[in-house]
Amino acid sequence: MYFEPSMKHAVIRRTVRKFAEEKLVPAAAEMDEKAEFPARLAAEMGALQYFGLEIPAEYAGAGLDSVSYAIVIEEISKASGAMGLCISVHNSVSAFPVYEFGNAFQRRAFLTPMARGEKIGTFCLTEPNAGSDASSIETAAVRDGDGYLLNGSKIFVTNGGASGLNLIFAVTHSAERGREYSVFIVESEREGLEKGAQEDLMGMRGNPVCPIVLNDCRVPKENLLGEEGQGMRIALSTLDGGRIGIGSQALGIAQACLDASVKYAKERYQFGKPIADFGAIQGFLADMAIRVEAARLLILRASSLRDGKLPHSRESAMAKLFASETAVDAARVGLQIHGGYGYSKAYPIERYYRDAKVCEIYEGTSEVQRIVIARSLGKK
Amino acid sequence: MNIIVCIKQVPDAPSIRIDRERMTIIRNDVESIINPLDRVALEAALDLKQKEGGKLSVLTMGPSHSEEALRETLAAGADEAILLSDPQFAGADTLATSKVLASAISRVEPFPDLILCGRQTIDSDTGHVGPQLAEELDLPQVCGVTEIHVESNALVVKQLSDGFQNTYRVSFPALLTVSQGLNVPRHIPLGELEQAFSRGRVNRWGLKDLDLRPEEVGLSGSATTVLRLYKPPQKRKGEIVSGSSQVLAEHLIAKLVSLSVLDEDEAE
Repeated sequence: MYFEPSMKHAVIRRTVRKFAEEKLVPAAAEMDEKAEFPARLAAEMGALQYFGLEIPAEYAGAGLDSVSYAIVIEEISKASGAMGLCISVHNSVSAFPVYEFGNAFQRRAFLTPMARGEKIGTFCLTEPNAGSDASSIETAAVRDGDGYLLNGSKIFVTNGGASGLNLIFAVTHSAERGREYSVFIVESEREGLEKGAQEDLMGMRGNPVCPIVLNDCRVPKENLLGEEGQGMRIALSTLDGGRIGIGSQALGIAQACLDASVKYAKERYQFGKPIADFGAIQGFLADMAIRVEAARLLILRASSLRDGKLPHSRESAMAKLFASETAVDAARVGLQIHGGYGYSKAYPIERYYRDAKVCEIYEGTSEVQRIVIARSLGKK
Repeated sequence: MNIIVCIKQVPDAPSIRIDRERMTIIRNDVESIINPLDRVALEAALDLKQKEGGKLSVLTMGPSHSEEALRETLAAGADEAILLSDPQFAGADTLATSKVLASAISRVEPFPDLILCGRQTIDSDTGHVGPQLAEELDLPQVCGVTEIHVESNALVVKQLSDGFQNTYRVSFPALLTVSQGLNVPRHIPLGELEQAFSRGRVNRWGLKDLDLRPEEVGLSGSATTVLRLYKPPQKRKGEIVSGSSQVLAEHLIAKLVSLSVLDEDEAE
């Protein structure tokens, strides 16, 4: 067993880090403050293939493996949680299922512009009355001639305000199987699809999260992803990769907390010496560093399994859970190290604190992850 | 225009540590990058290739691990990467390095119209390799170039030296070393990195592939020996100025201009 990154992974990390430090770090605070999605920056990232991470080159993607994908999302999230969230959701739960379950027409018509970043994707599962219990969604798709009529409302749609294509999870009915779920690719400009105002969120404010309402929205049958009734399978298989993405996002935020705290602890003098010289602060920093490292290893393990086409539901759940709790903890302790300054907007740690929290909630709450993990025990 | 860019893989500046016994920089276990000015040289070459066409080859002498840097240049758009690696090359000073590079360049088909190097590296900072390489190959050279323009049979280049700007016309084939400010290296698309690492090809040449004798390369071919390598103590000097706020402000502005933090227009 060898724990060093390959040459490729080292170069990818360095390349992304350089881009993030140059372009995203200077923009991150303003994105947060103005709750504004930087479309120009996103276009720049599109040209560099950040929106087609695991999509093969024939569809204009970068064709990266999952380990690289995790590294990219970690480095982007370290600079800006909101942009990390954007590419994580776009790549893992929007573009990837279109690739995995899409037919030749869908791959060409929808996937290629997604991989180029020309069409930003969403994953619309959550509804006012359906969160962790995804099976209770109410959005319905009814057959209408050679297409479907969609009605319902989706909330907390990540990337919503900037999206070009949306994956809509809806209830369909089959004569033999009864109530089931299907996924539709719905263009943002399609009649009957309406986007609500951007949510006023605690963190990840640079991401244009908004509700999407479908009001007699008619879609042709060519926009049905996979087959009718395949929705739950698509959601579940997609979420394994999504969890690696959210885990990597959380890891990036945790690493940002650690870096900011180390820097601050060396610069801040109290009682005539840098606070990094005090045992209590050293203890904080050491514990943060251990957890960050452990989270990274869990994520790399889950993504290596994914690269080897091996089962990784449990490992992704563990990685997502541990990394997000690490991020929340690192932000809490990091802010404590910063003292009063940490509570002000003069330092980025308060933004990390607000951004970190949602990692414990979306794409499967920590409580749901624990159920997934517990159920998998004793199965081997 | 056929171009060769010579690069060096160097330790990333913040992580440099010194082996006090062997008087060398510790290169294991340190993050390595393409020397920043070599990256500027590569960018200039990519730019010229885009405008003029031709083949772009990248050359480095170093241990096996330097393959990483070469693959990165393939991802950026180089056509060919050559790694000069041989245990006999180890311990080379700039003279022995230039000999190996010169011998390798003589083997590249066709002989390049232009050779580009970074002006100096961030690790040893000698600035010797480019000029020595030009001498070995008997080529005209301009060092520390900040602008390159192509004319029909020559290059017109600008160089900053001792506060003066010099403009030269250089005939082909030529060697240029480049300075900061010539360009801003592009960001590499992720898919190009993937391709370069999964499918890109790096040619490896050792001593047997070159027209050189063992005593001309590596430690035995080196004319210089490092006697001591140390981190100079950092000297901090404070300056206390007193006077009215007008005087203090004028003093401060003058100081910032003299340190090139502000230019004179801004100071006005």
